[in-house]
Amino acid sequence: MNPAVPEWTGVALSVSLVAVAVVIAWRQQLGLAKEIVIAAVRAGVQLFAVGAVLLFLFQHAGLPGGFAWLAVMVVIAGQVAGRRGAGLHRSRYVATAAVAVAAAVTLGVLILFGVVQSAPRVVVPVGGMVVSGAMQATGVTLARLVAEARGQRAVIEARLALGLSAPAAFAPHRRELLRTALIPTLDSTKVVGLISLPGAMTGLILAGVSPEVAIRYQIVVMYMLVAAAVMAALAAAELGRRMLFTGAQQLR
Amino acid sequence: MSRFDLREVSVRRDGHLIIDRVSATIAPGRCTALVGPSGAGKSTLLRLFNRLDDPTSGTLLLDGAELDTLDVLELRRRVGLVGQRPVMVAATVIEELRTGAPELERGRAVELLARVGIAQALVDRPSAGLSGGEAQRVCLARALAVEPEVLLLDEPTSALDPEAAKAVEETLCGLLGDGLTAILVSHSAEQVRRMADDALVLQGGRLVESGPVREIAYVNGVGGV
Repeated sequence: MNPAVPEWTGVALSVSLVAVAVVIAWRQQLGLAKEIVIAAVRAGVQLFAVGAVLLFLFQHAGLPGGFAWLAVMVVIAGQVAGRRGAGLHRSRYVATAAVAVAAAVTLGVLILFGVVQSAPRVVVPVGGMVVSGAMQATGVTLARLVAEARGQRAVIEARLALGLSAPAAFAPHRRELLRTALIPTLDSTKVVGLISLPGAMTGLILAGVSPEVAIRYQIVVMYMLVAAAVMAALAAAELGRRMLFTGAQQLR
Repeated sequence: MSRFDLREVSVRRDGHLIIDRVSATIAPGRCTALVGPSGAGKSTLLRLFNRLDDPTSGTLLLDGAELDTLDVLELRRRVGLVGQRPVMVAATVIEELRTGAPELERGRAVELLARVGIAQALVDRPSAGLSGGEAQRVCLARALAVEPEVLLLDEPTSALDPEAAKAVEETLCGLLGDGLTAILVSHSAEQVRRMADDALVLQGGRLVESGPVREIAYVNGVGGV
Protein backbone atom coordinates (compact mmCIF):
# COMPACT_ATOMS: atom_id res chain seq x y z
CA MET A 1 0.00 0.00 0.00
CA ASN A 2 1.17 3.49 -0.80
CA PRO A 3 2.32 5.13 2.45
CA ALA A 4 0.89 8.50 1.30
CA VAL A 5 -2.71 7.24 1.51
CA PRO A 6 -4.18 7.38 5.04
CA GLU A 7 -5.25 4.18 6.81
CA TRP A 8 -8.63 4.05 8.58
CA THR A 9 -6.82 4.79 11.86
CA GLY A 10 -5.55 7.98 10.23
CA VAL A 11 -9.08 8.93 9.26
CA ALA A 12 -10.19 8.36 12.84
CA LEU A 13 -7.36 10.55 14.10
CA SER A 14 -8.32 13.36 11.72
CA VAL A 15 -11.62 13.53 13.61
CA SER A 16 -9.58 15.00 16.49
CA LEU A 17 -9.02 18.11 14.33
CA VAL A 18 -12.76 18.63 14.15
CA ALA A 19 -13.01 17.98 17.88
CA VAL A 20 -10.51 20.77 18.55
CA ALA A 21 -12.55 23.13 16.40
CA VAL A 22 -15.76 22.16 18.22
CA VAL A 23 -14.20 22.67 21.65
CA ILE A 24 -12.90 26.11 20.70
CA ALA A 25 -16.23 27.11 19.19
CA TRP A 26 -18.06 25.88 22.28
CA ARG A 27 -15.75 27.57 24.84
CA GLN A 28 -15.89 30.87 23.00
CA GLN A 29 -19.66 30.58 22.65
CA LEU A 30 -19.57 31.22 18.93
CA GLY A 31 -22.82 29.34 18.43
CA LEU A 32 -21.04 27.28 15.78
CA ALA A 33 -20.24 24.07 17.65
CA LYS A 34 -23.45 22.34 16.63
CA GLU A 35 -23.05 23.51 13.02
CA ILE A 36 -19.52 22.18 12.83
CA VAL A 37 -20.58 18.79 14.21
CA ILE A 38 -23.48 18.58 11.77
CA ALA A 39 -21.30 19.60 8.81
CA ALA A 40 -18.58 17.12 9.75
CA VAL A 41 -21.03 14.26 10.25
CA ARG A 42 -22.90 15.07 7.04
CA ALA A 43 -19.70 15.20 5.02
CA GLY A 44 -18.54 11.89 6.50
CA VAL A 45 -21.85 10.15 5.90
CA GLN A 46 -22.18 11.52 2.35
CA LEU A 47 -18.66 10.45 1.44
CA PHE A 48 -19.20 6.97 2.93
CA ALA A 49 -22.39 6.66 0.91
CA VAL A 50 -20.74 7.89 -2.29
CA GLY A 51 -17.80 5.56 -1.69
CA ALA A 52 -20.18 2.63 -1.33
CA VAL A 53 -22.08 3.60 -4.48
CA LEU A 54 -18.87 4.03 -6.45
CA LEU A 55 -17.53 0.71 -5.21
CA PHE A 56 -20.74 -0.95 -6.34
CA LEU A 57 -20.66 0.89 -9.70
CA PHE A 58 -17.05 0.02 -10.42
CA GLN A 59 -17.43 -3.63 -9.50
CA HIS A 60 -20.93 -4.51 -10.70
CA ALA A 61 -22.78 -1.88 -12.72
CA GLY A 62 -20.23 -1.32 -15.48
CA LEU A 63 -20.30 1.53 -17.94
CA PRO A 64 -24.13 1.80 -18.22
CA GLY A 65 -24.27 2.15 -14.45
CA GLY A 66 -21.61 4.86 -14.62
CA PHE A 67 -23.58 6.82 -17.18
CA ALA A 68 -26.80 6.35 -15.19
CA TRP A 69 -25.05 7.85 -12.18
CA LEU A 70 -23.86 10.71 -14.37
CA ALA A 71 -27.43 11.32 -15.54
CA VAL A 72 -28.55 11.57 -11.91
CA MET A 73 -25.83 14.18 -11.31
CA VAL A 74 -27.00 16.16 -14.35
CA VAL A 75 -30.58 16.21 -13.05
CA ILE A 76 -29.49 17.35 -9.58
CA ALA A 77 -27.20 20.02 -11.08
CA GLY A 78 -30.09 21.21 -13.28
CA GLN A 79 -32.30 21.67 -10.23
CA VAL A 80 -29.62 23.61 -8.37
CA ALA A 81 -28.63 25.85 -11.29
CA GLY A 82 -32.28 26.29 -12.29
CA ARG A 83 -32.98 27.93 -8.95
CA ARG A 84 -30.54 30.70 -9.88
CA GLY A 85 -32.82 31.55 -12.78
CA ALA A 86 -35.94 31.87 -10.61
CA GLY A 87 -38.50 33.94 -12.48
CA LEU A 88 -37.43 32.60 -15.86
CA HIS A 89 -40.05 30.53 -17.65
CA ARG A 90 -39.09 26.82 -17.25
CA SER A 91 -35.72 27.70 -15.73
CA ARG A 92 -35.02 24.17 -14.40
CA TYR A 93 -35.59 22.64 -17.78
CA VAL A 94 -33.23 25.20 -19.32
CA ALA A 95 -30.58 24.55 -16.66
CA THR A 96 -30.80 20.78 -16.94
CA ALA A 97 -30.56 20.92 -20.72
CA ALA A 98 -27.56 23.29 -20.59
CA VAL A 99 -25.66 21.10 -18.12
CA ALA A 100 -26.53 17.97 -20.12
CA VAL A 101 -25.32 19.50 -23.39
CA ALA A 102 -22.05 20.68 -21.85
CA ALA A 103 -21.41 17.34 -20.14
CA ALA A 104 -22.31 15.26 -23.19
CA VAL A 105 -20.16 17.25 -25.61
CA THR A 106 -17.14 17.59 -23.32
CA LEU A 107 -17.09 14.01 -22.07
CA GLY A 108 -18.06 12.70 -25.49
CA VAL A 109 -15.07 14.33 -27.14
CA LEU A 110 -12.65 13.13 -24.45
CA ILE A 111 -13.93 9.56 -24.64
CA LEU A 112 -14.17 9.56 -28.42
CA PHE A 113 -10.53 10.57 -28.78
CA GLY A 114 -9.51 8.16 -26.06
CA VAL A 115 -8.14 10.95 -23.87
CA VAL A 116 -9.93 9.44 -20.90
CA GLN A 117 -10.89 5.81 -20.54
CA SER A 118 -14.51 4.81 -20.99
CA ALA A 119 -14.55 2.92 -17.70
CA PRO A 120 -16.88 3.78 -14.84
CA ARG A 121 -13.95 4.52 -12.51
CA VAL A 122 -12.96 7.32 -14.91
CA VAL A 123 -16.31 8.43 -16.30
CA VAL A 124 -17.93 9.02 -12.91
CA PRO A 125 -15.33 11.29 -11.24
CA VAL A 126 -14.36 13.11 -14.44
CA GLY A 127 -18.05 13.49 -15.33
CA GLY A 128 -18.64 14.82 -11.83
CA MET A 129 -16.09 17.58 -12.38
CA VAL A 130 -17.61 18.47 -15.74
CA VAL A 131 -21.15 18.54 -14.37
CA SER A 132 -20.10 20.65 -11.41
CA GLY A 133 -18.29 23.18 -13.62
CA ALA A 134 -21.21 23.30 -16.04
CA MET A 135 -23.62 23.77 -13.15
CA GLN A 136 -21.77 26.82 -11.86
CA ALA A 137 -21.57 28.45 -15.28
CA THR A 138 -25.24 27.70 -15.95
CA GLY A 139 -26.32 29.12 -12.60
CA VAL A 140 -24.45 32.39 -13.07
CA THR A 141 -25.64 32.71 -16.67
CA LEU A 142 -29.29 32.25 -15.75
CA ALA A 143 -29.05 34.62 -12.80
CA ARG A 144 -27.54 37.30 -15.07
CA LEU A 145 -30.09 36.57 -17.79
CA VAL A 146 -33.01 37.16 -15.45
CA ALA A 147 -31.41 40.27 -13.94
CA GLU A 148 -30.68 41.70 -17.38
CA ALA A 149 -34.18 41.04 -18.69
CA ARG A 150 -35.67 42.74 -15.61
CA GLY A 151 -33.28 45.69 -15.45
CA GLN A 152 -33.15 46.38 -19.18
CA ARG A 153 -36.79 45.70 -19.98
CA ALA A 154 -37.38 49.18 -21.41
CA VAL A 155 -34.33 48.96 -23.69
CA ILE A 156 -35.22 45.50 -24.96
CA GLU A 157 -38.81 46.52 -25.65
CA ALA A 158 -37.65 49.69 -27.39
CA ARG A 159 -35.69 47.49 -29.81
CA LEU A 160 -38.62 45.12 -30.28
CA ALA A 161 -40.86 48.10 -31.01
CA LEU A 162 -38.47 49.08 -33.82
CA GLY A 163 -39.14 45.73 -35.49
CA LEU A 164 -36.06 43.87 -34.25
CA SER A 165 -36.43 40.15 -33.65
CA ALA A 166 -36.11 38.84 -30.11
CA PRO A 167 -32.57 37.47 -30.69
CA ALA A 168 -31.44 40.79 -32.19
CA ALA A 169 -33.11 42.82 -29.44
CA PHE A 170 -31.34 40.74 -26.81
CA ALA A 171 -27.95 40.35 -28.53
CA PRO A 172 -26.06 43.15 -26.71
CA HIS A 173 -27.28 41.83 -23.34
CA ARG A 174 -26.33 38.28 -24.25
CA ARG A 175 -22.77 39.39 -24.94
CA GLU A 176 -22.54 41.16 -21.57
CA LEU A 177 -24.04 38.37 -19.53
CA LEU A 178 -21.86 35.69 -21.11
CA ARG A 179 -18.77 37.75 -20.32
CA THR A 180 -19.89 38.14 -16.71
CA ALA A 181 -20.76 34.48 -16.39
CA LEU A 182 -17.45 33.22 -17.73
CA ILE A 183 -15.03 35.64 -16.09
CA PRO A 184 -14.71 33.60 -12.84
CA THR A 185 -13.86 30.42 -14.77
CA LEU A 186 -11.40 32.21 -17.03
CA ASP A 187 -9.74 34.01 -14.13
CA SER A 188 -9.23 30.85 -12.13
CA THR A 189 -7.88 29.16 -15.25
CA LYS A 190 -5.35 31.96 -15.68
CA VAL A 191 -3.89 31.59 -12.21
CA VAL A 192 -4.04 27.81 -12.00
CA GLY A 193 -0.89 26.45 -10.37
CA LEU A 194 0.16 29.92 -9.24
CA ILE A 195 -2.43 30.47 -6.53
CA SER A 196 -4.00 27.08 -6.08
CA LEU A 197 -3.01 23.55 -6.90
CA PRO A 198 -6.17 22.16 -8.36
CA GLY A 199 -7.99 19.17 -6.90
CA ALA A 200 -7.18 16.53 -9.46
CA MET A 201 -3.47 17.35 -9.39
CA THR A 202 -3.38 17.52 -5.59
CA GLY A 203 -5.11 14.17 -5.42
CA LEU A 204 -2.72 12.52 -7.82
CA ILE A 205 0.37 13.91 -6.12
CA LEU A 206 -0.94 12.84 -2.71
CA ALA A 207 -1.55 9.37 -4.10
CA GLY A 208 2.12 9.18 -5.09
CA VAL A 209 1.90 9.91 -8.82
CA SER A 210 4.79 11.94 -10.24
CA PRO A 211 4.07 15.64 -10.81
CA GLU A 212 4.83 15.23 -14.51
CA VAL A 213 1.93 12.79 -14.85
CA ALA A 214 -0.22 14.84 -12.49
CA ILE A 215 0.08 18.00 -14.59
CA ARG A 216 -0.79 16.12 -17.74
CA TYR A 217 -3.98 15.00 -16.12
CA GLN A 218 -4.61 18.46 -14.72
CA ILE A 219 -4.19 20.14 -18.08
CA VAL A 220 -6.79 17.85 -19.60
CA VAL A 221 -9.12 18.50 -16.66
CA MET A 222 -8.64 22.25 -16.91
CA TYR A 223 -9.30 22.46 -20.64
CA MET A 224 -12.26 20.20 -20.14
CA LEU A 225 -13.65 22.48 -17.43
CA VAL A 226 -13.17 25.60 -19.55
CA ALA A 227 -14.96 23.92 -22.45
CA ALA A 228 -17.75 22.67 -20.19
CA ALA A 229 -18.26 26.12 -18.65
CA VAL A 230 -18.30 27.90 -22.01
CA MET A 231 -20.68 25.40 -23.55
CA ALA A 232 -22.98 25.39 -20.55
CA ALA A 233 -23.08 29.19 -20.50
CA LEU A 234 -23.77 29.36 -24.25
CA ALA A 235 -26.50 26.73 -24.05
CA ALA A 236 -28.08 28.36 -20.99
CA ALA A 237 -27.99 31.81 -22.63
CA GLU A 238 -29.52 30.47 -25.83
CA LEU A 239 -32.26 28.36 -24.26
CA GLY A 240 -32.87 30.96 -21.55
CA ARG A 241 -33.24 33.71 -24.13
CA ARG A 242 -35.89 31.66 -25.91
CA MET A 243 -37.78 31.39 -22.63
CA LEU A 244 -37.61 35.16 -22.07
CA PHE A 245 -39.69 35.83 -25.16
CA THR A 246 -43.00 34.50 -26.45
CA GLY A 247 -43.46 33.12 -29.94
CA ALA A 248 -44.77 36.56 -30.93
CA GLN A 249 -41.42 38.17 -29.96
CA GLN A 250 -42.82 39.64 -26.77
CA LEU A 251 -40.74 39.94 -23.61
CA ARG A 252 -42.48 37.80 -20.97
CA MET B 1 -54.91 53.19 -44.90
CA SER B 2 -53.97 51.93 -41.40
CA ARG B 3 -57.29 51.74 -39.68
CA PHE B 4 -57.51 49.85 -36.42
CA ASP B 5 -60.62 48.08 -35.21
CA LEU B 6 -60.94 46.77 -31.67
CA ARG B 7 -63.54 44.09 -31.00
CA GLU B 8 -64.43 43.24 -27.41
CA VAL B 9 -60.78 43.57 -26.36
CA SER B 10 -60.01 42.54 -22.78
CA VAL B 11 -56.74 42.28 -20.87
CA ARG B 12 -56.51 40.40 -17.60
CA ARG B 13 -53.34 40.50 -15.48
CA ASP B 14 -52.92 38.55 -12.26
CA GLY B 15 -56.67 38.13 -11.97
CA HIS B 16 -57.41 41.83 -12.50
CA LEU B 17 -59.33 43.04 -15.51
CA ILE B 18 -57.23 45.95 -16.85
CA ILE B 19 -59.09 46.37 -20.13
CA ASP B 20 -62.76 45.41 -20.14
CA ARG B 21 -64.37 44.54 -23.48
CA VAL B 22 -63.31 47.64 -25.42
CA SER B 23 -64.68 47.98 -28.97
CA ALA B 24 -63.64 50.99 -31.03
CA THR B 25 -62.29 52.21 -34.33
CA ILE B 26 -59.12 54.24 -34.85
CA ALA B 27 -59.51 56.25 -38.05
CA PRO B 28 -56.58 56.47 -40.47
CA GLY B 29 -54.80 59.77 -41.01
CA ARG B 30 -56.03 61.17 -37.70
CA CYS B 31 -54.68 61.47 -34.20
CA THR B 32 -56.74 59.54 -31.67
CA ALA B 33 -56.14 60.20 -27.99
CA LEU B 34 -56.56 57.59 -25.26
CA VAL B 35 -57.52 59.53 -22.16
CA GLY B 36 -58.73 58.80 -18.67
CA PRO B 37 -57.53 58.80 -15.06
CA SER B 38 -54.26 57.03 -14.21
CA GLY B 39 -54.76 53.29 -13.91
CA ALA B 40 -57.57 53.39 -16.48
CA GLY B 41 -55.61 51.07 -18.79
CA LYS B 42 -54.46 53.57 -21.44
CA SER B 43 -50.85 52.41 -21.69
CA THR B 44 -51.88 48.76 -21.45
CA LEU B 45 -54.22 49.26 -24.38
CA LEU B 46 -51.53 51.10 -26.38
CA ARG B 47 -49.15 48.11 -26.10
CA LEU B 48 -51.65 45.93 -27.93
CA PHE B 49 -51.44 47.93 -31.17
CA ASN B 50 -47.87 46.81 -31.96
CA ARG B 51 -48.24 43.52 -30.08
CA LEU B 52 -45.79 44.21 -27.29
CA ASP B 53 -48.64 42.46 -25.47
CA ASP B 54 -51.64 40.48 -26.63
CA PRO B 55 -55.19 40.81 -25.33
CA THR B 56 -56.53 38.05 -23.10
CA SER B 57 -59.64 37.96 -25.27
CA GLY B 58 -61.08 39.87 -28.20
CA THR B 59 -59.33 40.90 -31.40
CA LEU B 60 -57.56 43.89 -32.92
CA LEU B 61 -57.62 44.38 -36.67
CA LEU B 62 -55.35 46.48 -38.84
CA ASP B 63 -57.05 47.27 -42.15
CA GLY B 64 -59.35 44.31 -41.60
CA ALA B 65 -56.61 41.77 -40.82
CA GLU B 66 -56.37 40.30 -37.33
CA LEU B 67 -53.07 41.40 -35.78
CA ASP B 68 -51.99 37.88 -34.85
CA THR B 69 -52.25 36.78 -38.49
CA LEU B 70 -49.69 39.42 -39.53
CA ASP B 71 -45.94 38.94 -39.26
CA VAL B 72 -45.22 40.58 -35.93
CA LEU B 73 -41.89 42.14 -36.96
CA GLU B 74 -43.50 43.59 -40.08
CA LEU B 75 -46.39 44.88 -37.95
CA ARG B 76 -43.97 46.65 -35.63
CA ARG B 77 -42.31 48.33 -38.60
CA ARG B 78 -45.71 49.57 -39.72
CA VAL B 79 -46.69 50.69 -36.21
CA GLY B 80 -43.94 52.68 -34.47
CA LEU B 81 -43.79 53.58 -30.78
CA VAL B 82 -42.47 56.52 -28.82
CA GLY B 83 -42.48 55.80 -25.10
CA GLN B 84 -42.96 57.95 -22.06
CA ARG B 85 -39.28 58.21 -21.21
CA PRO B 86 -36.60 58.36 -23.87
CA VAL B 87 -34.80 55.02 -23.88
CA MET B 88 -31.48 54.93 -25.70
CA VAL B 89 -30.53 51.61 -27.22
CA ALA B 90 -27.28 52.40 -29.10
CA ALA B 91 -24.02 54.28 -28.61
CA THR B 92 -24.49 57.31 -30.86
CA VAL B 93 -27.36 59.29 -32.30
CA ILE B 94 -26.93 57.91 -35.82
CA GLU B 95 -26.72 54.36 -34.50
CA GLU B 96 -29.98 54.98 -32.67
CA LEU B 97 -31.60 55.81 -35.99
CA ARG B 98 -30.03 52.79 -37.66
CA THR B 99 -31.30 50.36 -34.99
CA GLY B 100 -34.55 49.76 -36.81
CA ALA B 101 -33.28 50.87 -40.23
CA PRO B 102 -29.75 49.45 -40.68
CA GLU B 103 -29.50 50.72 -44.27
CA LEU B 104 -30.31 54.31 -43.35
CA GLU B 105 -28.03 56.69 -45.18
CA ARG B 106 -26.34 59.54 -43.37
CA GLY B 107 -28.10 62.19 -45.44
CA ARG B 108 -31.49 60.69 -44.68
CA ALA B 109 -30.58 60.53 -40.98
CA VAL B 110 -29.73 64.21 -40.99
CA GLU B 111 -33.06 64.95 -42.69
CA LEU B 112 -35.00 62.97 -40.09
CA LEU B 113 -33.18 64.68 -37.27
CA ALA B 114 -33.90 68.08 -38.80
CA ARG B 115 -37.55 67.10 -38.99
CA VAL B 116 -37.64 66.57 -35.21
CA GLY B 117 -35.52 69.65 -34.50
CA ILE B 118 -32.12 68.06 -33.87
CA ALA B 119 -29.10 69.86 -35.32
CA GLN B 120 -26.78 68.06 -37.72
CA ALA B 121 -23.92 68.57 -35.26
CA LEU B 122 -25.46 66.00 -32.93
CA VAL B 123 -25.46 63.13 -35.45
CA ASP B 124 -22.32 61.48 -34.09
CA ARG B 125 -22.84 62.45 -30.46
CA PRO B 126 -22.96 59.70 -27.84
CA SER B 127 -26.65 59.14 -27.15
CA ALA B 128 -25.96 58.97 -23.41
CA GLY B 129 -25.02 62.67 -23.33
CA LEU B 130 -28.29 64.05 -24.70
CA SER B 131 -30.70 66.11 -22.64
CA GLY B 132 -34.14 64.65 -21.97
CA GLY B 133 -35.78 66.70 -24.69
CA GLU B 134 -33.08 65.90 -27.24
CA ALA B 135 -33.23 62.21 -26.38
CA GLN B 136 -36.99 62.14 -26.82
CA ARG B 137 -36.62 63.78 -30.23
CA VAL B 138 -34.03 61.19 -31.19
CA CYS B 139 -36.52 58.48 -30.13
CA LEU B 140 -39.08 60.09 -32.40
CA ALA B 141 -36.63 60.26 -35.31
CA ARG B 142 -35.63 56.65 -34.61
CA ALA B 143 -39.27 55.58 -34.90
CA LEU B 144 -39.71 57.63 -38.08
CA ALA B 145 -36.59 56.10 -39.65
CA VAL B 146 -38.50 52.82 -39.98
CA GLU B 147 -41.16 54.73 -41.96
CA PRO B 148 -44.20 53.61 -39.96
CA GLU B 149 -47.79 54.17 -41.07
CA VAL B 150 -48.95 54.59 -37.49
CA LEU B 151 -47.21 56.19 -34.53
CA LEU B 152 -48.05 55.14 -30.97
CA LEU B 153 -47.27 57.95 -28.53
CA ASP B 154 -47.25 56.97 -24.85
CA GLU B 155 -47.31 60.26 -22.92
CA PRO B 156 -44.46 61.47 -25.12
CA THR B 157 -43.88 64.73 -23.25
CA SER B 158 -44.73 63.82 -19.65
CA ALA B 159 -41.15 63.12 -18.58
CA LEU B 160 -39.79 66.37 -20.04
CA ASP B 161 -39.44 69.80 -18.50
CA PRO B 162 -42.17 72.26 -19.62
CA GLU B 163 -40.01 73.95 -22.25
CA ALA B 164 -38.80 70.70 -23.84
CA ALA B 165 -42.34 69.29 -23.61
CA LYS B 166 -43.74 72.25 -25.52
CA ALA B 167 -41.08 71.97 -28.22
CA VAL B 168 -41.53 68.21 -28.67
CA GLU B 169 -45.29 68.67 -28.81
CA GLU B 170 -44.89 71.25 -31.56
CA THR B 171 -42.70 68.84 -33.50
CA LEU B 172 -45.34 66.11 -33.09
CA CYS B 173 -48.11 68.45 -34.23
CA GLY B 174 -46.09 69.18 -37.35
CA LEU B 175 -45.77 65.46 -38.10
CA LEU B 176 -49.45 64.84 -37.47
CA GLY B 177 -50.28 67.62 -39.90
CA ASP B 178 -48.57 65.51 -42.58
CA GLY B 179 -51.33 62.90 -42.28
CA LEU B 180 -49.59 60.29 -40.13
CA THR B 181 -52.02 58.11 -38.16
CA ALA B 182 -51.31 58.47 -34.44
CA ILE B 183 -52.59 57.06 -31.19
CA LEU B 184 -51.73 59.31 -28.28
CA VAL B 185 -51.88 58.46 -24.61
CA SER B 186 -52.02 61.66 -22.58
CA HIS B 187 -53.16 62.74 -19.17
CA SER B 188 -53.31 66.39 -20.16
CA ALA B 189 -56.65 67.62 -21.49
CA GLU B 190 -54.97 70.69 -23.01
CA GLN B 191 -52.50 68.53 -24.88
CA VAL B 192 -55.32 66.33 -26.19
CA ARG B 193 -57.24 69.39 -27.38
CA ARG B 194 -54.13 70.72 -29.12
CA MET B 195 -52.99 67.47 -30.71
CA ALA B 196 -55.81 64.99 -31.16
CA ASP B 197 -58.75 64.79 -33.57
CA ASP B 198 -60.61 61.99 -31.79
CA ALA B 199 -60.59 60.65 -28.27
CA LEU B 200 -61.42 57.42 -26.48
CA VAL B 201 -62.09 57.86 -22.78
CA LEU B 202 -61.22 54.90 -20.56
CA GLN B 203 -62.30 54.48 -16.98
CA GLY B 204 -61.47 51.37 -14.97
CA GLY B 205 -60.60 49.60 -18.20
CA ARG B 206 -63.94 50.36 -19.88
CA LEU B 207 -64.57 52.64 -22.81
CA VAL B 208 -66.96 55.29 -21.48
CA GLU B 209 -66.88 57.96 -24.19
CA SER B 210 -65.62 58.25 -27.76
CA GLY B 211 -65.83 60.66 -30.66
CA PRO B 212 -64.28 63.88 -31.99
CA VAL B 213 -62.29 65.67 -29.28
CA ARG B 214 -64.51 68.76 -29.23
CA GLU B 215 -67.53 66.58 -28.33
CA ILE B 216 -65.79 64.71 -25.51
CA ALA B 217 -66.88 65.99 -22.11
CA TYR B 218 -63.85 64.47 -20.36
CA VAL B 219 -61.34 66.66 -22.19
CA ASN B 220 -63.51 69.78 -22.21
CA GLY B 221 -63.64 70.33 -18.50
CA VAL B 222 -66.81 68.38 -17.74
CA GLY B 223 -65.07 65.21 -16.57
CA GLY B 224 -62.55 67.22 -14.54
CA VAL B 225 -59.02 66.46 -15.80
